[in-house]
Amino acid sequence: MSDIVMTDGTTPRRSLEPAIFRMLGLAFTVFIVAYILIPIVVTLVMSFNDAAMIRFPINDWSLKWYRDFFGSPQWTDALMNSIVIAVGTAAISTTSGILAAWAFERFHFPFKDLWYLLIMLPLFMPGVVLGLGVAIAFGGLQIGGYSIYGSRELVMVAHSLWAMPLVFMLMEATFRTIDYRVIEASYDLGARPARTFFEIVIPMVSTGIISSALFAFVISLNEFVMALFLTDRDTQTLPVLMWLSLRSAGTPRLAVASVILALAVFACLTLIMIWYVRQLRKVAR
Amino acid sequence: MTVTTVKESPSYELNRRKAIRRKQLTPWLLMLPALVIVLIFFGIPTLYMLRMSFNLHIGQRLYVPGFTFEHYVNLFANPLFTNAIWTTVQLSLLSSLCTVLIGYGFAVLVWLKPAKWRLLFIGLALCPLLISEIAIIFGWWMFFPKNGLLSYALLSSGLITDKISLMYTEFAAFVGLVYVTLPYCFFILLSIFDGIDKRMLEASADLGAPPFMSFREVLLPLTRSGLLVAFSQSFIWTIGTYATPSALGPDTLWTMGYLIQEQMLGKHNWPMASAFSMVLVVGVACAMALTRSLMSKRTSFHV
Repeated sequence: MSDIVMTDGTTPRRSLEPAIFRMLGLAFTVFIVAYILIPIVVTLVMSFNDAAMIRFPINDWSLKWYRDFFGSPQWTDALMNSIVIAVGTAAISTTSGILAAWAFERFHFPFKDLWYLLIMLPLFMPGVVLGLGVAIAFGGLQIGGYSIYGSRELVMVAHSLWAMPLVFMLMEATFRTIDYRVIEASYDLGARPARTFFEIVIPMVSTGIISSALFAFVISLNEFVMALFLTDRDTQTLPVLMWLSLRSAGTPRLAVASVILALAVFACLTLIMIWYVRQLRKVAR
Repeated sequence: MTVTTVKESPSYELNRRKAIRRKQLTPWLLMLPALVIVLIFFGIPTLYMLRMSFNLHIGQRLYVPGFTFEHYVNLFANPLFTNAIWTTVQLSLLSSLCTVLIGYGFAVLVWLKPAKWRLLFIGLALCPLLISEIAIIFGWWMFFPKNGLLSYALLSSGLITDKISLMYTEFAAFVGLVYVTLPYCFFILLSIFDGIDKRMLEASADLGAPPFMSFREVLLPLTRSGLLVAFSQSFIWTIGTYATPSALGPDTLWTMGYLIQEQMLGKHNWPMASAFSMVLVVGVACAMALTRSLMSKRTSFHV
């Protein structure tokens, strides 16, 4: 408190301190960038390895393991399963999430807070618990000779337990931003609520819908603990297969699988960006 | 919505009632798909799991219907299980603390940096969030072992003379866990920082406070609730995760998630796995409730 007179920053103590802090800041920046990039770069580099073993240094480079990945029916089937399940999850969770968010935004009904909590609760549950619960509750169930357990549909719904609350949260925030006078105008012009919803509201929040669908897709694509409990040999997803083969032996093929998963995710992200830019242009016009 | 004529005819009255009923019904119809998912695929399994946790486990059968508290007693009496609970809580607390510290530093960094760096750092923080946990595990799995990158890098830089392996140590598990939770923490804290006026720090400095004092007296009180949320988020995440610690950590690092999976898929003891899950669910719910109550107290105190 005694140096309260130093207002112009000319005292030596204050000129020295920023230098130290700048150094510390730089060191921390280097640390954080390295920390985040290490596993990503290691995986990327390893996927172009020519050897059958995972060891550094890497002497020969090739696309051998990429050819191996796409030549193995087991791995391509797993990739296909992953994509089908992720598309299904995106469809289920986006539809249900949007409708629920609209109900919360536009209507009053009793015990709203309780329903809100119920919808959000699965998002905070560990995947192990959700997977176990669904597995034991639907384990032996058959509908018309079609076994529910091990089916892709069950995994889609299980993944929706995480994806749907997220869509719900995102869409609730999006619905809050729209101008409700436009909706009133639509009603005044004689449009029924359903028509207003599909022709006025949906186009207004298209960016939110696209982003939440793609986020749901990404969550399902990456998830493997629930899928581990719920899939069998024919329906196992790519992350499940990766997990199982990591337990037995790690080969560069796993690195290729990681890269392909990440590429799918970043393709989704690019799609969101492109859509967003297009919408911005539209608004500007 | 807009009724232009007021007719007191019976048919009008009937229609009006119908419209009101429809209006009351609409939110439930809209919520129906979401509620079906949550109630049937989360509610029923949870109740089923609760019931299952009281069933008997005899011999090699998955479960035998019955009623016993045996599994819960076992859970808190068998040192194998109590150790697992203790290990999990310890690991979660420690790694959450570490995550919050690193995340806080990262958020301050991004907040103070000029805007041109911001997008780059946010993109960087998104990476761990968007990459599958299994890919992250595999990445560290190639970094830590004897023939991994770390050993090679240290060896070729001359810092060590013999190959080293940090694989299957608690440190490796710890690094992996922090990596997975860091982005959540970072984004929660960044959103808090974005609501703070940067000129406050300048004002504090102009009044003569050294940087540490500015931090303690200005920044910390303003971000306390954010810190709490970030901490509880990473705690909830780490307490339920089992893949990262079991793949990177030592064989003796038995977390609750690992034991659930082991009881379910390895030992085929469904009641025990269910009892364990119930304890985990209660733990997560407690952590959430505690955060909420602490937060509401904090905000009411400040506002």
